[in-house]
Amino acid sequence: MAYSDKVIDHYNHPRNVGSLDKSSSDVGTGLVGAPECGDVMKLQIKVNPQTNVIEEAKFKTFGCGSAIASSSLATEWVKGKTVDEALSIKNMDIVKELALPPVKIHCSVLAEDAIRAAIGDWKKKQETTKPAAVEAK
Amino acid sequence: MRAAQFCHSCGKVQPPAPADYFTFFGLPRKLHLKEAALQREFYELSRKLHPDLSVRADAREQAWILEQSSRLNDAYRTLKDPIQRTQYLLGLEGVQLEEQSKSATEEARTAGTVKKQVVPPALLEEVFELNLQLEEARLAKKMGEPDPELVRELEQQKKKWEAQFEESLEELKGYWHEWDKLIDHDAAPEKRAAVRDKMVDLLNRRNYIRNLVRDVNEVLEG
Ligand code: FES
Repeated sequence: MAYSDKVIDHYNHPRNVGSLDKSSSDVGTGLVGAPECGDVMKLQIKVNPQTNVIEEAKFKTFGCGSAIASSSLATEWVKGKTVDEALSIKNMDIVKELALPPVKIHCSVLAEDAIRAAIGDWKKKQETTKPAAVEAK
Repeated sequence: MRAAQFCHSCGKVQPPAPADYFTFFGLPRKLHLKEAALQREFYELSRKLHPDLSVRADAREQAWILEQSSRLNDAYRTLKDPIQRTQYLLGLEGVQLEEQSKSATEEARTAGTVKKQVVPPALLEEVFELNLQLEEARLAKKMGEPDPELVRELEQQKKKWEAQFEESLEELKGYWHEWDKLIDHDAAPEKRAAVRDKMVDLLNRRNYIRNLVRDVNEVLEG
């Protein structure tokens, strides 16, 4: 199967590979998998507690080229966005940007799941660490 | 002789009717299956549908023979393999893994929730950790400095996952048993759906385990 140039670029030069401190209260971690193919993806975000802006994002994906490219792109996209803005990223945006063929759509779904899971994890931490702030809203 | 492929009275090949693979072999939609009997049936049908034997048939009939024999091959290949047979049956029962995963993501998006992962999070963690180790081992080998401790650890992992892979087949066979009983008793759709979903969960887990076994072996042998 032919990969698009953008996929190849992300695959050869993945952005933001690595990890963040999972135990930090500002960090959200999402670990998701696609059982169809057995691929796994971890995406982490570091959120500024004052502004709710995602300041850093890291990923590590064990999977196909499209999954690597999707998660690499996802980290680029979430950086600089607020948590709520990042939640509006849809898998089809990734499909379009990377020109993924239909058989690779599930790889982009994985990336969206990873963003949501990371944000969900971060949100959960905020509730447990500062319940007062949540209630005040 | 199966009614599906041949005429009752004259024995001539019939036009291929849209039938699932179980029906093609005249089997109920059950998962325990006598593989030897299936194989015999397959050989017998193959002989009857052999294109060389159809020289006396007219063009239309020859086309049917060809189509029937290619369906025969597909059906046999699918049904004889325990995993493929199960997956095929789940498909007939309305399971579409990829579609379902996509719509679960869409639901989570609209509801603003986090999608529930279809395999236990602990398994995902293990898969991820082992992949990290495998990456390390590959790298060490590439640098010409294989790490004996890591290799020993991976050998342990290999044993563990191979055992789980075997076990998963046994577990699956347990569900086959439940399933077949429900079919025999013509059980309500909800009951069938419950067993169906257990099989889906198991096969999902098994996909990860299969990959781990494959990758660990590749690193240890390669
Ligand atoms: S093939 Fe499964 S994530 Fe790409």
